Amino acid sequence: MKRLIQLVLTFFGVYVGFIVVFDVLLEHAVIPSSLLMMYMFFVGAGVFMVFTFTEESMNELTAPIKALVEDPSKKMIRNVVFLLVPLAVGSYAYAKMIPNFEAPLELRTIHPAPPSSVKAYGKRYDLMTLENPYRKFEKEDPEKFKKYVKEGGMVYVKNCQYCHGDKLDGRGPYAEGLNPTPLNFQDVGTIAQLQEAYLFWRITTGGPGLPAEATPWLSAMPVWKDFLTEEEVWKVILFLYDYTGQRPRSWESE
Amino acid sequence: MKTGMRTLALGALGFLLLAAQPAAAKPGNAGNGEKVYNERCVWCHGEEGDGEGAGGAVAKYLNPPPRDFTSGMFKIKTSPFSEDFPNDADIFRMIRDGMPGSDMPGWKSVLKDEQDIWDLVAYVKTFAELEDEPGKTVDYGTQVASAPESIKKGNKLFHDGARCSECHGEEGKGDAIKKLKGDNGERTWPRNLTKPWMFRGSSDPKDIFTRISTGIPGAQMPSFADPKSKKKLSIEERWHVANYVNSLAKTDKTVRAGNTVVKADKASGDLPADPGDPAWEAATPSTFYLVPQMIYKDRVFKLSNDTITARALYNDKEVAILLEWDDRTKSIPGDKDAMTIADPEMGEDRVAIQLPVAIPEGMKKPYFVKGDAANPVNLWYWGSGTAETPGNVRLGNGTGVDSVEDRDAAAVGLKAKGVYKNGTWRVVMKRPLVTADAKTDIQFEEGRYTPIAFQNWDGSNGEIGSKHTLTTWYWLLLKPAADNTPLIAALILAALVLGVEILWARSAAKRKEA
Ligand code: HEC
Ligand code: HEC
Ligand code: HEC
Repeated sequence: MKRLIQLVLTFFGVYVGFIVVFDVLLEHAVIPSSLLMMYMFFVGAGVFMVFTFTEESMNELTAPIKALVEDPSKKMIRNVVFLLVPLAVGSYAYAKMIPNFEAPLELRTIHPAPPSSVKAYGKRYDLMTLENPYRKFEKEDPEKFKKYVKEGGMVYVKNCQYCHGDKLDGRGPYAEGLNPTPLNFQDVGTIAQLQEAYLFWRITTGGPGLPAEATPWLSAMPVWKDFLTEEEVWKVILFLYDYTGQRPRSWESE
Repeated sequence: MKTGMRTLALGALGFLLLAAQPAAAKPGNAGNGEKVYNERCVWCHGEEGDGEGAGGAVAKYLNPPPRDFTSGMFKIKTSPFSEDFPNDADIFRMIRDGMPGSDMPGWKSVLKDEQDIWDLVAYVKTFAELEDEPGKTVDYGTQVASAPESIKKGNKLFHDGARCSECHGEEGKGDAIKKLKGDNGERTWPRNLTKPWMFRGSSDPKDIFTRISTGIPGAQMPSFADPKSKKKLSIEERWHVANYVNSLAKTDKTVRAGNTVVKADKASGDLPADPGDPAWEAATPSTFYLVPQMIYKDRVFKLSNDTITARALYNDKEVAILLEWDDRTKSIPGDKDAMTIADPEMGEDRVAIQLPVAIPEGMKKPYFVKGDAANPVNLWYWGSGTAETPGNVRLGNGTGVDSVEDRDAAAVGLKAKGVYKNGTWRVVMKRPLVTADAKTDIQFEEGRYTPIAFQNWDGSNGEIGSKHTLTTWYWLLLKPAADNTPLIAALILAALVLGVEILWARSAAKRKEA
């Protein structure tokens, strides 16, 4: 009996382990059920082999089952088990076969690797070396810097707040109608993780500029090179960092 | 000791009261208010507080425009009609909670210290040189609880002499044909009272009572406590009207977060071709937000129609989709009523259903606005027509925001019919499940998740061509009719297992005997 319980516990232990690792540790990445099935098949086969390696262990494992079927004194339990097993199998099969109308899951990479260069304004920008031309004024001429930030704010309120929100929290008046939702710049997981050149790429080329793993066909982020000048894009980037109190990532800090 | 406990208890009670009702104004420090204002509010309300943020550009883009504080006029106030200005707590509330349905957000998520908000109140008041506050509130008398009897009375008062319906329309959808302007000359629209999420000051009966009593300063919503008003209402009557309006602000056509699927049930007979057909009531409605098009060419910033509701049915031959959306204006170019209310440039009211030509196998879908070159979409258009030509259906194949090829709708059997009534358009579109050419037209399949998106034009809001509202991709599912296969299969399986068990027990018993 002990061996049988051990086998069952080992099997379910591994199962729960998989779910914990994927769900909790890997930030709620849901493990596809077909993959889980495959893993559990191999786990089941392995565990079974270990538990039935010698004849002795095999006997130990099957003894309680044998007893249940053959021992006349266990008739009551046998009848109950014999009724429960087909019921369980039947209802599992039923649950698997009725169509479930859950919408397909769409997974997308939020911050894909950028291309090495972008084309905009009739030029090609090398993203490895591209820098915000206004950033240097932060130290050199704080007054001038403040003016640029302010101009960036005006670009923002005229163009971006509808989606990203006046509070830059990704919750503008129309945000709820979009999927994926506009990104929250207050969050430490967005612009604080990125270089200004990355933002330049994202803002000038928008949703359609994304690679396939980031589902460019879904993103409502406009292609801003169609509406804003190069200067306006750099200024709005200054504003995004200034307003949220975040710092862009830079090559030096790597 | 005992008194100590008592003060503590009283203190706790006082704290609770304060927390529940921050109406007790605290003196604000205009100096600090200015600092916060210049960081957070200038962008829209402007340095001078005149609502001309970003050099006046914002006022042009937003409807309603940011409040001009130099007028001292505030829309949502609790001070009585006789007082021109609001109480400090009124301004406080709008800054803290925001004004739903407008671009004015609630600031409590970033201004965590309430004192900052009181300081802003003090600073905002300086633009109109307001000093004290009225300190009085509307006389609420005794609140009449909402009950069928009261709602019935309110209904009558609402429509009596078109008291409210002259602006808010028969069913409260804001669809009466009256052209209204706010104090700064901006176009204003009577609220659609069936949409609780559009109320600047909540759809709670007490809030509605207050609005009816004070009116909405700066907009054309009058006060019904004004002794000079011919349509004046007593306190009790105002409660009845408030209860009635509150009962309107309940709709099953609300966006349910997480609902992304329009589920079509299989019908046994013919599909309803008429939008008013009662057969539609059995189909489950799904409502989605409409977002202004800000992605290509001429863009829209001022939202008019904000949601669209879809239902679908299908049978062995066809699929039919019913679209419903509230639109204050029936835009028929050339029609007299329509022209009185429209802005100079008017187009037809239109709607489009967008579907991929090929149902995607994997994740990849066409670009959500009119597809892309490699992944074209079908666009089923319906237009309200002009005074000369009646409503019409059109078919287009989109391969990009700006490239939609016109096709012959009749050739693929696409049909549509639209009806406008009391502020709501209802449009049915129908097409056979399959067509002659799978390369140019979607072939519907039972049980397949099919991407679907919508586009909408309010012709009286200047929405023509690339100026429209849109949704991102959702799903359409032709739900297979429930059948018994799973149940039968499960029963057979269970019987098999039982049979094996019995055989096993038998043979074991035999072995024992032997
Ligand atoms: C119509 C809505 C809309 C508007 C307007 C809009 N955005 Fe976006 N934006 C989005 C959406 C949705 C996303 C998330 C999807 C994506 O990454 O493309 C996004 C993503 C971004 C990102 C990527 C952030 C990251 O962490 O990777 C940046 C940067 C950005 N937007 C900047 C801007 C700026 C600057 C403006 C104004 C000039 C703007 N957006 C206007 C919808 C919008
Ligand atoms: C994105 C633009 C925007 C920003 C930023 C903004 N507002 Fe507003 N605000 C508006 C709009 C638009 C309205 C008018 C809403 C309406 O008329 O329904 C408004 C209205 C108001 C009102 C009038 C309330 C009433 O009853 O009439 C007050 C007070 C106000 N804002 C204060 C502030 C303060 C304080 C801040 C900064 C913390 C701020 N606003 C930031 C857009 C903005
Ligand atoms: C002359 C036209 C007119 C009449 C008559 C009128 N309203 Fe209004 N009403 C408006 C306008 C315009 C608005 C929107 C104002 C704004 O916020 O710009 C409005 C807004 C409202 C709101 C929304 C308040 C909020 O919190 O957003 C309510 C409730 C309302 N009206 C109720 C009534 C009732 C009840 C009556 C009749 C007793 C009435 N109205 C009569 C024009 C009118």
